[in-house]
Amino acid sequence: MLKFLKQVGDYTKDVVQSAKYIGQGLSVTFDHMRRRPVTVQYPYEKLIPSERFRGRIHYEFDKCISCEVCVRVCPINLPVVDWEFNKTTKKKELKHYSIDFGVCIFCGNCVEYCPTNCLSMTEEYELAVYERHELNYDSVALGRLPYKVTDDPMVTPMREFAYLPKGVMNPHNLPDGSKRAGKTPQEIVAETQSAQKVAAISEGSSEG
Amino acid sequence: MNPGIDLQGTFIESLQGFGLPAGAAKAIWMPLPMLIVLVGSTVAVLIAVWMERKVSAAAQQRIGPEYIGPLGILAPLADGLKLVFKEDIIPAKADKWLFTFGPMIVVIPVFLSFLIVPFGENLLISDVGMGVFLWIALSSVVPIGLLMSGYASNNKYSLLGGLRATAQSLAYEIPLALAVMAIAMMSNSLSTVDIVQHQSGYGLLGWNVWRQPFGFVIFFIAALAECERTPFDLPEAEEELVAGYQTEYSGMKFALFYLGSYVNLTLSALLVSILYLGGWEAPIPVGLISSTFNISDTTPWLQVITGAIGILMTLLKTYALVFFIVLIRWTIPRVRIDQLLNLGWKFLLPVALANLLATAGLKLTFPAFFGG
Repeated sequence: MLKFLKQVGDYTKDVVQSAKYIGQGLSVTFDHMRRRPVTVQYPYEKLIPSERFRGRIHYEFDKCISCEVCVRVCPINLPVVDWEFNKTTKKKELKHYSIDFGVCIFCGNCVEYCPTNCLSMTEEYELAVYERHELNYDSVALGRLPYKVTDDPMVTPMREFAYLPKGVMNPHNLPDGSKRAGKTPQEIVAETQSAQKVAAISEGSSEG
Repeated sequence: MNPGIDLQGTFIESLQGFGLPAGAAKAIWMPLPMLIVLVGSTVAVLIAVWMERKVSAAAQQRIGPEYIGPLGILAPLADGLKLVFKEDIIPAKADKWLFTFGPMIVVIPVFLSFLIVPFGENLLISDVGMGVFLWIALSSVVPIGLLMSGYASNNKYSLLGGLRATAQSLAYEIPLALAVMAIAMMSNSLSTVDIVQHQSGYGLLGWNVWRQPFGFVIFFIAALAECERTPFDLPEAEEELVAGYQTEYSGMKFALFYLGSYVNLTLSALLVSILYLGGWEAPIPVGLISSTFNISDTTPWLQVITGAIGILMTLLKTYALVFFIVLIRWTIPRVRIDQLLNLGWKFLLPVALANLLATAGLKLTFPAFFGG
């Protein structure tokens, strides 16, 4: 009898504890209700991609020397470089160049290794098409520059989390001229350049 | 006590005033409340769906439907419209008749149960003497439809879903009925109107929750399971069973299931508020306020206000419960089938029995509090 009562007591304790946990869980969900939505209303508002964003690849036909480095560094040898050796000029003549973005993983190796910088990353990421072959961009399509989110009159550009001022969590209704926490790349470049200039001047004066 | 507005009586009387016989007047009256309830319950479902979407969104720090009508109110309507226009597919090797009848058998009893839901003393379709019992009987028809559609779909997931739904409904119907039995014992009646009247007079303090706290919890859990809401939504657990018995359904037949599940949800919330939260009674009794200002119970404008407050209170309590149920959906993970059956048979059933026994004992010892 005592054992049975103990069992009942233990069971009741369990029940009370689980009820407590459910209550805690409910308070967490309830608390989320008053938090501000983190979503961006996509077609009307868009996040500004970061400066290192690896989007669709841009390609300049005239700069390309058909060296095929991009093909060699590509994990799947994706870029198609169609060239022919011109015997009279003894130079490679580039005919076509294409990248299939249905297969590309946007690793950026080709951009990294291109000796003439004819490849670069854009901030375009809206690659929806009706058929997968449309994603196979030829040199003309690759040469197009994407619309900037900040230039689009239909879109309210939103800053990404890392680009918000310190302590701000919400990209909506930011005051004009608010800057992100820390230094911008331009500032860092300007600082190092001026530091170099100062160093050069001091070096020159010590020499002279 | 004053019976409040009697719409039926005045309607029939006024028709008789035009020279119609009493029978004909009643026949004209009859379809009106049915239509109102059908439309009303559908609107209630739309509101419940909208609320589910909005509350879910808020719990996940989203906005939810925003552009379909103001604050996305028309989103459930758009859902329904989409389902109406979808192609109605019957799988090649499915049993055509059972496949078609399944959703009907699921939906009809749920709508029929609105027969006994009172929004005021005379604001219900029919004050059936065995009101709550009728609801329990009707709700036990639903698993037949679920099993039927699960079996007729000729799909392993559907069959498993249908079987689970049946097992679940069977397990949770008994504690549900036992919890209701304790209430019926206290109010000396199965009629929903009598049950609410038994709770009236003392405002918030007179509600059955205080007399039946365990019964309330049992009823609420069992009602959740009957509606197949999380954490008991395993008949349609999408991670394991695709969509359970709904897997093969599309178009209007799926819409029936969808509608049925939300009507069931609002119905259960309504019944919880009627059985335990005082139905149409306001937290502070309207009669008390009117008597302090020396206004007679029979004043017409007071009766209209009382009726309006009654409807408002019922809906307020109902949607507060729906809100809570949605919150539970995003809080508690789904239980396993063995946990579900353990909870039903080994926990809720004994507790419900003990609760019934305790209620009977308390009724004998304190007849003043527990309804002599």
